[in-house]
Amino acid sequence: MANTAPTTEQPATGFLQSEGMRAFLKFLKDNGTLVALIALMFIFSLWDEAFFTPRNLTNLARQTTIVGIIAVGMTLVIIINGIDLSVGSIVGLAAIVVTLLMQSGVNIWAAILITLLLTGVLIGLWNALWIAHYNIPPFIITLGMMTIARGIALTLSDGGSVPVTDPVFGEIGGGFFSVMVSTIMVLLIFAYLLFSQYRDLKQKQQYGVTVKQQELITTGVVTLLAGAIVLYAFSYRGLPYPVAIFAVIAFIGSFTLQHTKFGRRIYAMGGNEEAARLSGISIKRMKIAIYCIITTLSALAGIMLASRLNGASPNLGNMFELDAISAVIIGGTSFSGGVGTIIGTVIGAFIISVLNNGMSLLEVPTFYQLIIKGGIIILAVWFDVLSKKKRG
Amino acid sequence: MGEVVLEMKNIIKDFPGVRALNDVNFEARSGELLALMGENGAGKSTLMKVLSGVWPYPSYQGDIYLRGELKRFYNTKEAEAAGIAIIYQELNLIPDLTVAENIFLDRQMTNAFGAINWGKLFAETQRLLDELNITDFKPTDKVKDLTVGKQQLVEIAKALSKKADVLVFDEPTSALTDKEVAALFEIIRKLKRQGVCMSYISHKMEELQQIADRVVVLRDGKTIGDVTPIAEITLDQLISRMVGRDVKDMFPKGQFQRGEKVLEVKNFDIDNPDLPGQKKVKNACFCAYKGEILGISGLMGSGRTELVSGIFGAPPGPAHGEIYLDDKLVRFRSPHAAIEHGIGLVTEDRKRIGLILGQSIIQNMMISSLETVTNVLGIINQAKERNLAQDYVKRLSIKTPGLDVKIDTLSGGNQQKVILAKWLNIKPKVLILDEPTRGIDVGAKVEIYNLLNKLVEEGVTVIIISSELPEVMGISDRILVMCEGEIVAELTREQATKELIMAYATGSQK
Ligand SMILES: Nc1ncnc2c1ncn2[C@@H]1O[C@H](COP(=O)(O)OP(=O)(O)OP(=O)(O)O)[C@@H](O)[C@H]1O
Ligand SMILES: [Mg+2]
Repeated sequence: MANTAPTTEQPATGFLQSEGMRAFLKFLKDNGTLVALIALMFIFSLWDEAFFTPRNLTNLARQTTIVGIIAVGMTLVIIINGIDLSVGSIVGLAAIVVTLLMQSGVNIWAAILITLLLTGVLIGLWNALWIAHYNIPPFIITLGMMTIARGIALTLSDGGSVPVTDPVFGEIGGGFFSVMVSTIMVLLIFAYLLFSQYRDLKQKQQYGVTVKQQELITTGVVTLLAGAIVLYAFSYRGLPYPVAIFAVIAFIGSFTLQHTKFGRRIYAMGGNEEAARLSGISIKRMKIAIYCIITTLSALAGIMLASRLNGASPNLGNMFELDAISAVIIGGTSFSGGVGTIIGTVIGAFIISVLNNGMSLLEVPTFYQLIIKGGIIILAVWFDVLSKKKRG
Repeated sequence: MGEVVLEMKNIIKDFPGVRALNDVNFEARSGELLALMGENGAGKSTLMKVLSGVWPYPSYQGDIYLRGELKRFYNTKEAEAAGIAIIYQELNLIPDLTVAENIFLDRQMTNAFGAINWGKLFAETQRLLDELNITDFKPTDKVKDLTVGKQQLVEIAKALSKKADVLVFDEPTSALTDKEVAALFEIIRKLKRQGVCMSYISHKMEELQQIADRVVVLRDGKTIGDVTPIAEITLDQLISRMVGRDVKDMFPKGQFQRGEKVLEVKNFDIDNPDLPGQKKVKNACFCAYKGEILGISGLMGSGRTELVSGIFGAPPGPAHGEIYLDDKLVRFRSPHAAIEHGIGLVTEDRKRIGLILGQSIIQNMMISSLETVTNVLGIINQAKERNLAQDYVKRLSIKTPGLDVKIDTLSGGNQQKVILAKWLNIKPKVLILDEPTRGIDVGAKVEIYNLLNKLVEEGVTVIIISSELPEVMGISDRILVMCEGEIVAELTREQATKELIMAYATGSQK
C-alpha cells in the first residue's frame, strides 16, 4: 500500500481508466488465486478435451476433498503461526485403524468414532501438550509425530494392506446423492450465496462502507459461473458424499473464522500472540483446540480415503502434509500469521488437484509434476512476501 | 539562526477516506530546532514522511525545497542522499541484530569480498555512542535485549550517524528517562551549533520550552498561524492553536468519596528470571480503594510495570505474595483469569504488546470482551458489535475513517484510545493504566483524565503509572513512589511535591 500512488489524481484517460475496467483490475489483484484457478482450468480444457467433462470434474472434486479437509484445519494452524507436519501420517494411521477395527468385527460407526478419538483427538492432545505446555516448536513435535504415526500404522498392519468388505463403509467416500437431489441442493446453496453477498453489501452500505457496483457484479458473475460448473460436473452421477462432507467442513471452518469468538481469537493470536495473551485470550487452550481440530480432520480424511479405496495401506497419505500446506499458502494465508481465509484455502486445494489431475491427463511424468508443484508453492510464498513488503 | 534550509509548500496528502495534509506550508532554518505540534492525527508524522520519501513523489501534492532547490524524492534513499534523516515515531529496528548492525544497517562496512568488517563496525559504533554519551549499552548488544527507551536511543544514534543536515525527530522522548532526555538535549544543542536544521515533534510542552526555537502548529492537516518564535507565544495560546479552543484545566480532578478497599497486595515479590537471587519487585504492600485514583510514580525501571503486570497475572518472573480482591484471596495464573475478575491493564509498550497490528480497529477494540457481543454458541452479533464500537469511537472521539481500517493507519494517540475502549468494554472493577498518555496530545489527555474521573465516579478503582510528575500529581488522590523494586513512599495528594517524589524515586530519601 505504502508505495502506490493514488490513482484519483490522474485524469481518466480512456478504457484502462474507466470505472468498470478499474474494478475488474482490482478484482484480479485481490483474487489472484481464483483467477489462477480459472486460468488453469481453461488451459487444461483447451489442451485435453477429457478435462472439462462431468466425469473428470466429478473425479477432480472427489480428489480434492481429502487434502481439502486437512487444509481447512491447516489454515487455522498456520494463521496462529504454527504448522502440523503429522497430518499425512495420521491419514495413513486412521485408515489402518478404522479398517482393522472393522475387520475385528466392530460396528462401522463405532469404528469411525473410535478412530477419530484415538488417531485424531488423542494425537492432537499429545502434540498440543508439547507445543502449548512445554513450548516446543510445533515444527519439531509434529515432525516427530509424522514418523511415529507412520511407524504405528506400519506396525499395526504388519506393513501390508487391510481390505474392507462392508459395502456401507465404501459409501462414505464413494457414494453419491442422486442427480436430482444434488441439483436442488446446489441451486439452494448458490441462491443462498448470492443472497448473502447481497445482504453483506446492504450491511456494509449501512455502516458507510462504500462498495462499487462493479465489484458486486464481478463477485455475482463469479458465483454464478461457479454454480454452473458445479451443476455441470454433478450431472455425471450427482454430488459425491465426500464432496458434501468437505463442503460442510469448509463452511463451518469459514463461518467459525469470520463470525465467532473462536475465530477472532485465532486471528488475534496469529497477529500478536503476546498482545492476545494480555488481552485475556487463553493461548494454551486455543492451541490445544486448534491442534486437536487439525488431527481430527486428518483422521476423518484418512477414514474417507480408506472408504473410497475400500481398504487401507499404511502408506496412505504420504506427503499430504505438503499438499495441505501448499493449498493454504497458495490460498493467501500468510506464513507470518494473522492472515488467511478458508475460501482461499479451498481455492488453493482445487488449484493443486487441478494441477495433479490435469498433468496426469496430459501424462506429464511424475518427476516433472513434482517439480512444477514445488515451483508453484515457491511462487505463492514469494508473492506473499512481496505483497507484505509493499504493505510494510 | 541561519538561512532557510527547508521549505514545504502547499503540501496535500490523501489517504483513503482522509485528507491527512491539507495545504501545509512552513520553513525551517539552519541551526534551529523547529517544533511541530498538534493533536493526535493532525498530520505531523505524515508531513515528515512526505519529507523523507516514505510517501514518495507523486503520492502527495505540493513542493519541497531544500536550500531553494525543488526536490522530488521517489524513495527514502533519495531523501537520505539529500541529507534528510528521520527518527520515526515507531521503532524500526531489527530485534535479532546487534546495535551496531542496526545503526549501519543499509551501509554495512564490508571488505573487498563483501564480508562484514566487524571490528570496524563495532569501533565506529562505539565512537558514535561515545559522542552521544551513551554508556548504557554496547555496540554488540542485541536490540531485543534493550528497553524501549534504549532502543529509542539506538534509533537516534542511527539517524545521527547519517550526518544529515536536516534532522527530524518524531516524538523521540516518549520512552526516555529524564537522564536520557537530558543527554539527547545536549546532543541537540551541539547539533544546533553545527548548523543542523532540526524539526521536532512532541506532545510534551515543558520539553519544547527547553529546546525549541520556533514552533508551528498543525490542526486537521492545516498549519494554524505562522511559524512563531517560542519566546513570543504563551502555553495557553499554543494549546488553543492546537485544539481550536481554550483548555482551562490541564488536570481536571473529580471530587470523590473514598469507598471500601477493593484491592490489597501483600508482601508481593517478583524474582528476576535472568539474575537468580535478585528481585524485580520487593515486598510490595499496598491497597487501592473504590472511589480513588491511585498513582504510581518512580523512575523507569523501578519495577512499576513489573508490579502491575504481576498483579495482572503476567509477571516477568516467578511471583510470590498475596493479592486480595474484595477481601478474597485471589491468584491469577494468567491475564485471562485477571480479566475474568474484572481487572484490566493498559500496557506500556503499545506497539509490541498492546496492539494487534495488521488487524482492524474493531478487532482490536473487541478482542478482550467478545462475550459482550456473542450468543451462547460464540457467534458474534455483528450489528451489536458495530454499534458498540461506534459508540466508543464517538465517546472517545477516535479519529478514524471507519471501523474496518487497519489499526496501523491510525495516529499514535488514536491507537491508544482504541486500546482504552478495549479495556472500558470489559467493564473493569480495577483498571490499571501504565503510562496511558504517552504520545497523546493535550486535548486528548484532558479527555482521558475526564474519562478516568468518570470511571471512578461509576465505582471503578483506577491505578495509574506515570513518569510525568505533573500528571500523577494532578490526577491522583494518593501516590506510591517506587525505587529499585520497592514501594518507598505513600504520599497523599496534599503531601506530594515534585521535589519529594523525586527524592524518594531516586533513593536520596528513604
Ligand atoms: N498509512 C496510512 N493509511 C491511511 N491513513 C493514514 C495512514 N497514516 C496516517 N493516516 C491518517 O492520517 C492522519 C494523520 O496521521 P499522522 O500519523 O500524521 O498524525 P500525527 O499528527 O502524527 O498524530 P500523533 O500525534 O498521534 O502521532 C490520521 O487521520 C491518520 O489516520
Ligand atoms: Mg505521529
